[in-house]
Amino acid sequence: MSVHEQQRPVLAEPGARSSVISVLERGFSVIRNQNWMILVSGFFEPVFYLLAMGVGMGMLVGEVSGPGGRGITYAAFIAPALLATSAMNGAFYDSTWNVFFKLRFAKLYEAMLQTSLSPWNVALGEILMALFRGFLYALGFLGVLAVMGLVTSWWALAMVPVAVLIAFGFAALGMGVTSFLTRFQQMDLLNFVMLPMFLFSATLYPITVYPEAVQWLVMVLPLWHAVELMRQLSVGYLTWATLVHVGYFVAMTAAGLWLTTTRLRALFLR
Amino acid sequence: MTDETGSAREQTVVGHHHDDLDTTTLAYSGQAPSHAVMAQRAHRFGTWYHAEAVLRSMRAFIVPGLLNAVGQPLLYIIAMGLGLGALVGNGVGTVDGVDYLTFVTPALLVSTVVMSVSGEMTYPVMAGFKWMRTYYGPAATGLRPAQIAAGHLLAVVIRFVVQCTIFWVIAVAFGATSLGWSVLMVPIGVLAATAFGAPLQAYAASLEGEGFQFSFVQRFIVMPMFLFSGTFFPLSVMPVYLQWIGWLSPVWHGTQLARLASYGASGPGWLIAVHVLVLVAATLAGVMWARRVYTRRLTS
Repeated sequence: MSVHEQQRPVLAEPGARSSVISVLERGFSVIRNQNWMILVSGFFEPVFYLLAMGVGMGMLVGEVSGPGGRGITYAAFIAPALLATSAMNGAFYDSTWNVFFKLRFAKLYEAMLQTSLSPWNVALGEILMALFRGFLYALGFLGVLAVMGLVTSWWALAMVPVAVLIAFGFAALGMGVTSFLTRFQQMDLLNFVMLPMFLFSATLYPITVYPEAVQWLVMVLPLWHAVELMRQLSVGYLTWATLVHVGYFVAMTAAGLWLTTTRLRALFLR
Repeated sequence: MTDETGSAREQTVVGHHHDDLDTTTLAYSGQAPSHAVMAQRAHRFGTWYHAEAVLRSMRAFIVPGLLNAVGQPLLYIIAMGLGLGALVGNGVGTVDGVDYLTFVTPALLVSTVVMSVSGEMTYPVMAGFKWMRTYYGPAATGLRPAQIAAGHLLAVVIRFVVQCTIFWVIAVAFGATSLGWSVLMVPIGVLAATAFGAPLQAYAASLEGEGFQFSFVQRFIVMPMFLFSGTFFPLSVMPVYLQWIGWLSPVWHGTQLARLASYGASGPGWLIAVHVLVLVAATLAGVMWARRVYTRRLTS
């Protein structure tokens, strides 16, 4: 018996929406009722980083070579990387810790899947919520960059949708990975991946600092592609590599969505 | 479990029953001390008893904890000291008269323990009062609330002595500091952690429930403290309107002392005294405040 032939919910009102929209509605009402202050405060983290590192380190470092080898200020060098990192962190933590709690403790998905919602609806709904958050932060951060005079190209506007794409990739994959975890201690493993990725993805200094073998390793990491993509857009220097970076995230998103949906189906509908 | 608790003693007595067994054997042997003596002991050594209990509860996290204690220094020293150091080398060259790795390492030691203390003094404290209520059991015995508060802090101090020592060993191995006085970075790091941790413990104990306070502490106190405390660059390169964050921050005071111990960073004597005073005063104030809050909540 396929998923769609299973019994329909008895209590559903006629015309009730049983799609990804209902999952989103729930997400927004949670934000409205509870945690909008936490949500807003997340915006400050990359801004603090930018102020501290951009201004302070900028004094020590001077000019750095940016996309295409052009010299740019240190603040302009790290700003796009911080935007990429904040898109990653926001989406990833939303789709790991948050999802883990709902999956293992609140049993929220079990309840949702008792209705006519499909695993695909639930997965997509949760991920879209993470994207909404990423979208807000990206918009705010771009505003800060503009005020600080760090935006030099109209291409920088594309940083907002690209932040959403990056968030999409990390959220989809993060939720899939979370479905494999059953204990809180295992969640700590995620930090062992995220912190090194942040530190080594050419976020705070150019990749050329590393020996060549290490450079190849770094290029495998998703955050490196995100950082490079953002950096290129921030100055409007686009090459074929830009397409590769975008392609990386499209593929990551597709793989993540497939994994998450398959896993939710396996966990709840067998 | 076996890798953490597989001592010879544990293997002879199955599972966790050895504690029960020990007291039972003791009782039947007729040698168990009287209640009065036991109560007196609890009264005298209560702080250590509670510290032991907290340390035992940390045991489940010993593997990730150790991985973290070793991994963090390695990652930060490589990424910040060497990676970022390469940029600084091309820029100004040296900072504070030394290469960047030497400059940044004492700061990384201090700021990583101060950041860790926020994890030990927020949710676990709330769990003690609210979620797990682990404070109420001891409070019903001969332990005084002040001892429970101090015991929690003591356990955290012991953990950080280990963590700072590991960091120091790694720093020496990387040539980021030289063997000798630099070992003083261990007590300095621990002191900086208590200067932030003790007041935070009292604050967390004063909360009835978790709203967004802990997230706010993390975002608006811990993060700025890490970033604006002269960790990655001397405080003096920041505009004055941002420098006050450093003056208030235990991270800056601790870092400056650690730099003195690590590579003999120069500074006026009175300023060194101020650093020590601020850290000691913040710790004492936190301990007193925590003592009051714990007493109020555990005796009512």
